Amino acid sequence: MIELLEVTKDYKTTLAVNRLNLRIPAGEIYGFIGPNGAGKTTTIRMMGGIIEPTSGHIAIGGIDLRKDPVAAKKMIGFVPDRPFLYEKLTGLEFLKFVADLYAVAPRILMRRAEELLRQFTLWDWANEIIESYSHGMKQRLIIAAALLHDPKVMIIDEPMVGLDPEGVRMVRDILRGLAANNVTVFVSTHTLSLAEDLCDRIGVISKGALLAEGTVAELNRAAKTGDAGLEEVFLTLVREG
Amino acid sequence: MYNAVLTLLQPRLIGAANGFRSRASGVRLLIFFVIGLVFWIGSFLIFYRVLTYFQSVQDFGDILAMKLLSMMILTFFTLLLFSSIINSLSHLYLSRDLSLVHSLPVSIRHIFLSRWLGSAFDSSWMVMAFSLPVLLSYGMVFKAGPGFYLAAAGAVLCLCVIAAGISSLIVLCGAALLPAGKIRTLFVILGVLLALLLVLVLRMIRPEQLVNPDSFASAVLYLNSLQALDRPYLPTTWITDGIRLALKNEWGLSLFNLALSASCFLFLLFLNDTTARLVYFRGFSRAQTAAKRLFAPVQYRGLSWEHLLGFLSRPARAFAVKEIRSFFRDSTQWPQLFLICALIVVYLYNFSVLPLDRTPISSVYLQNVFSFLNVGLAAFVLSAIAARFVFPAVSMEGEAFWIIRAAPVSLKTFLWIKFFLYSFPLLILSELLIVASNLLLGVTPFMMVLSAITIFCLVPAIVALAVGLGARFPDFKSENPALSATSFGGVLFMLLSFGLIALVIALEAGPVYKIFMARIHGRGFSFWSMAWFLLSFALALLLCVFAVVSSMRAGEKHLLSR
Repeated sequence: MIELLEVTKDYKTTLAVNRLNLRIPAGEIYGFIGPNGAGKTTTIRMMGGIIEPTSGHIAIGGIDLRKDPVAAKKMIGFVPDRPFLYEKLTGLEFLKFVADLYAVAPRILMRRAEELLRQFTLWDWANEIIESYSHGMKQRLIIAAALLHDPKVMIIDEPMVGLDPEGVRMVRDILRGLAANNVTVFVSTHTLSLAEDLCDRIGVISKGALLAEGTVAELNRAAKTGDAGLEEVFLTLVREG
Repeated sequence: MYNAVLTLLQPRLIGAANGFRSRASGVRLLIFFVIGLVFWIGSFLIFYRVLTYFQSVQDFGDILAMKLLSMMILTFFTLLLFSSIINSLSHLYLSRDLSLVHSLPVSIRHIFLSRWLGSAFDSSWMVMAFSLPVLLSYGMVFKAGPGFYLAAAGAVLCLCVIAAGISSLIVLCGAALLPAGKIRTLFVILGVLLALLLVLVLRMIRPEQLVNPDSFASAVLYLNSLQALDRPYLPTTWITDGIRLALKNEWGLSLFNLALSASCFLFLLFLNDTTARLVYFRGFSRAQTAAKRLFAPVQYRGLSWEHLLGFLSRPARAFAVKEIRSFFRDSTQWPQLFLICALIVVYLYNFSVLPLDRTPISSVYLQNVFSFLNVGLAAFVLSAIAARFVFPAVSMEGEAFWIIRAAPVSLKTFLWIKFFLYSFPLLILSELLIVASNLLLGVTPFMMVLSAITIFCLVPAIVALAVGLGARFPDFKSENPALSATSFGGVLFMLLSFGLIALVIALEAGPVYKIFMARIHGRGFSFWSMAWFLLSFALALLLCVFAVVSSMRAGEKHLLSR
């Protein structure tokens, strides 16, 4: 469902991503971990169509993101690492705005918006301008907006930042539910326990290059760390990579 | 104390210095400098010419020059007050870095003083820079000695700091008195007050009376009355007199007025310091409360923007509704909006009082010349409005621009929606201005149609230039994207827009003159004349089309490559 082929992003001063190859099938939760500045956010932004790769190809659901970005983006639910929104709109107005862009059928829009706002405990704030929301509320609104059009691919950068424990559990359950419904979930995170607990496969990136990928057991074999936890595996791979 | 203030100012100073280091900013700075220098020299030459002309008018020359000086000081002071209030509000209560600054172990007085200094500088530097050529021309025309320049510099400095002192006092009190979450209401109040003030001041000056011989006797009396020290309690009077008397080498009185201005500033500083200690932190805390909407949303079905714009496609409507709501809910936009309304009222009123029947030139000729020039003037006004509202439109997306990039809508669609969204109201505004002023002038139907068509072609071109260059030079990280109008891209837009207007007007001027004179004298046109007309009008149209296509493409290309 998500395919990256020899993807490179060169900022001239920094080679952020270097010939990255990934293949993530439908229904899989893929965790993307790496130290600060490893190229995680750049990869995610390229996959979301926010920045263009310097070279290489990205396909979402078989559609080349460069050739037909509009069709590819229709399948994606994108959640960035920082919740920047249109501060002067209300939460409900923002969802309507997103629904119009993603062509969500008007007859189901209000029902779906209410359902999501209630699920993310934002319904009481639906008619307040986003400017007055807390960081966590904005993060929940962005996730709700990303789910509004029933995406086939979910791309999330640091999903749990700013969320309270209840929110963390809710998002984790939602992501599992999505994968069960054949949605591909790509999660970038620093929370290794989350990656270990949630993801089917994990990719470790450092200095723009993929060091290893697979299940925790496969990563252990690659790092020769026995049956250590993901934290130990990660530190070993990054140190030796 | 001063160490703490200097330390608080350091991030700003170091940040500015770092900004100048890169090669790209060096080039931009050089271009800015050249543009500034041209404007500076232009202002000097115009003032020098005007003052030299005034000197040639017997008896009244000096009075006219001093009247001009006092008008200029009053205008500068009004501009400074307006800009200082907006800057103070931002520097003291709304800037993003305030949370960090207030968490530092520094006293509230130091924080206030450092923010006040930053705000005073931001609101004053341009007025200070552009008052210099004016004062230089006064000095040269009146053959003043070096003492005059020192006194004038001191007077301008006093003008700036007094305006900044009054403004911060207003903002401090306003923030303390307004309910929590409503601090941005100050922008709206300020906008209304300023619009009223502008209409009042401009109509009080009544420039049309200067060409009315019937009222000349009363004008003499009026000018004579200016020689007396009226309204001695106003700082602008002290500052004007400080400069005026230095010009005449009356040093005692000049220094007295300057000392009066300086003491006024020191008193204001004391008042600010005391008020800040009492209410600044309380006001700041209240400003941190979630912003409340100024007006409750309209609840009637069928009256929402979605229903009103129901004829648009869904993405277009989504962008349009988002843009309109964000615009009207942002109270920082309101003062300028009110100001534009006031300027339009003054603009049209001035046309209604033009004493065309009292001039020695043929009234019909003059009416139509004015009508033609009016197209250029309206287009220049439109450019200024576009620089303020349309050029920052792309930057206004701010850090939320990722939503556009992630959405299944092409950047081309996004930019064209912006284009149509701003073209429509600006077209209505420009056509209203043109038709109303032409009706007031009583021009011929030919001029009415020609000017309406010309502005119809110029509006999309200017809007596309603004949208395209706004996308070519976006600033998504700016705290106040509206300020991008004064950035490199904004200045480039103004230059290109003025160039386009000048070219279109120049292309039309010849044929229009020929057609108009032929109508007056009842003559026909030769084949070559007709070909010339056609070519000129076609070129003007092509120029507008080229401006639309090329600037929109350049903007899209740049956004795609980011």
